[in-house]
Amino acid sequence: MSRVVTAALSSALALATATPLASDPLPPTTNFRQLPTMPFSRVMELDAAQKPAVMQRQLDMLEARYDLADRPMDGVMMTGGLRAVQDGVRVRLPEGQTWDSLAAMTPAEIRDADLLPDGFKPLPHVKQANSGQVFPQFVIDEIDRQEGRDLTRFDVDFDLPAHLLPEFPPPIFLTTQPHLGDVSRGQLLTLANHYEIMNGLLTPVQMEGLRILLTPFPQEEFNQTEDRKTAEQHRGIACLDCHSNFSTNAGFHHTPDVRPQAARFRLDSPALRGMFNQQIHGSKRSLRSIEDFTEFEQHTAYFNGDHVSAARKGEHVPDRSHKVAFMAQMQNIIDFPPAPKLDPLGRLDADLATEQELLGEQVFNGKGQCAVCHIPQTAFMDQQMHDLKLERFYAPGEVVNDFVLLPDGPVKTFTLRGIKDTPPYLHDGRLMTLADTVEFFNLVLHTQLTQDEKDALVAYMLTL
Amino acid sequence: MRAAALALALAAAPAPGLAQMGNPGFMAPDTRFDAQGMPEPGQTNPNDILFAQLAAEGGMAEVALSELAEGRAQAEAVTAFAARMIEDHTAANERLAGLAEAADIPLPEALNAEHKAIRGTLEGLEGAAFDIAYMRGQVVDHQKAATLMVWEIADGQEAGLQGFASETLPVILRHLEEARAIVADLSAQPEIAAVSPETIGIAPSATAAGWEGEGVTSPGDETANPAAPSPPPPAGAGAAPADEPAGEGATPAEAETAPAE
Repeated sequence: MSRVVTAALSSALALATATPLASDPLPPTTNFRQLPTMPFSRVMELDAAQKPAVMQRQLDMLEARYDLADRPMDGVMMTGGLRAVQDGVRVRLPEGQTWDSLAAMTPAEIRDADLLPDGFKPLPHVKQANSGQVFPQFVIDEIDRQEGRDLTRFDVDFDLPAHLLPEFPPPIFLTTQPHLGDVSRGQLLTLANHYEIMNGLLTPVQMEGLRILLTPFPQEEFNQTEDRKTAEQHRGIACLDCHSNFSTNAGFHHTPDVRPQAARFRLDSPALRGMFNQQIHGSKRSLRSIEDFTEFEQHTAYFNGDHVSAARKGEHVPDRSHKVAFMAQMQNIIDFPPAPKLDPLGRLDADLATEQELLGEQVFNGKGQCAVCHIPQTAFMDQQMHDLKLERFYAPGEVVNDFVLLPDGPVKTFTLRGIKDTPPYLHDGRLMTLADTVEFFNLVLHTQLTQDEKDALVAYMLTL
Repeated sequence: MRAAALALALAAAPAPGLAQMGNPGFMAPDTRFDAQGMPEPGQTNPNDILFAQLAAEGGMAEVALSELAEGRAQAEAVTAFAARMIEDHTAANERLAGLAEAADIPLPEALNAEHKAIRGTLEGLEGAAFDIAYMRGQVVDHQKAATLMVWEIADGQEAGLQGFASETLPVILRHLEEARAIVADLSAQPEIAAVSPETIGIAPSATAAGWEGEGVTSPGDETANPAAPSPPPPAGAGAAPADEPAGEGATPAEAETAPAE
């Protein structure tokens, strides 16, 4: 760019922001959390009164978007054998359309005719204004049973049916003990049982890391102040409350990285399996090491990117040289679940795989474009963030249940190892089944797959 | 499609039940609630009031600056954009005024200081310099307006104003997309590239720069910040003052390309 162009543009920019001293900023609650204005008892009463309508509105939205029926795949279970993998495409089509008719249209045609299936759009949190972490009932029950710590919120409940969620409690595989297989003993690791279950398998450093990962600390909605959503003053949340047994229970949250509140998108808890190979962390934050992420979660998952609110409610910042390193060491020995049909380079062993699975691998690496980002050799990820530009297909700005649908922007590539164990899919959990992910990417990447190729891709992903 | 959507956005009354399900923790203690724990209709919170006033200020400025642009802009795309801003924002302003009156919210009657200053500057410009200055301002104003709408959707309380925000937001986003496209087109034109800061009458260092280290150095800045050890402009900061000798901070290649225009 020539110097004069630069100068002219900068002058124009100066004009656009002319007289900054006279320019008012947007109101402070556009980014900072507001202080409570109402007595706690009254808040609880009002939130509880609103709850039935809040939940009904959410369930209506989900029913309109998805077929939520319990329709398991024949004979396909998650790794631990505790829950069946669900079958079929669950996102509902707009009236009069088929998946093939949509796939034949351009993004602009779909956008102009408002034909993008709603289930492909960002998924709202159950209560946008209240926000925060929400746990499935089976998680709440088990933690309460073991620890007497009740994660029930008085304002919201979890919204998706259990058969669409990961198995619970998930199995645990350690990179240091591959000969043992699942070491969870079918238990959910908590502060009440972890030492008994893990003694003999971990180093003292790893065990101490595990203890901290299981220790509750105050969080935005689970704390001791009047600005909480639990009936009693609460001890708080542990890292593994969401990442059950280092996998996930599909508990969800709001992204800490976006403001204003109405634009914050839902986050589905990811599994921590294979952490040793993951080099960027946080769907938006791109923190560059698990140590960075572990340290910084107190400012994000716990307090929504608001260090001011955190200071008031009692944040716990683990010291970097000891506690953070211990926690990271523990996370780094969590393995993916076994994938017996994969060879050491992440390719299917032709002697073990079916023809359909082999066709699926071929589509995955070729026509389907999946392997461009989900590279088999690097644990089916690429250590990058990518922007799928879904807004090519819909007009941003629509408001659904108080949530403003805006472009997602770049989001990190998640691993596909063990993918059948961790529905729902995408960073916000908007896709219920693997078949949904195939239709989503078939449209977004314009890959024009046949039904046989789609079915083969699903069969292939079950082997990962 | 666009016209239809706009008509819908600006004319439609808010649908029943559009009121946001707010966080009661942040509501005023004197709020009246119904049996479902929802604020009874017709009650505003302080955010609604601030929103109405800021949105009205922005909308008023849109019309005032666009009227100026309609008579003064050079490029056809800019004139057409200005005409549409007048039409769209006049309708939106009227609807907002009705909602504010119903809610007993006093709205500003004159441009705020920021927009008065911008108008003053624009009045001194013409041709390509006017076009780029007006359109750059439109981008920023629509960015702020979009964020303001999103804020009201989460933090307001009165259903009518929240409905206004949610229905106006897609229109604002479309305006913003168009304004960005026009700025990109204009910026690529040699005539725009030849516009000098002297013509526009703004010293970049006085406005675009913040305090020390923001990418612009000038004698003025140095006296304002005697402690700051005049930092080198970061690469690509795009805010090099043109009245500075071309040697500092610019490569010889850059300096040579300038006069050729």
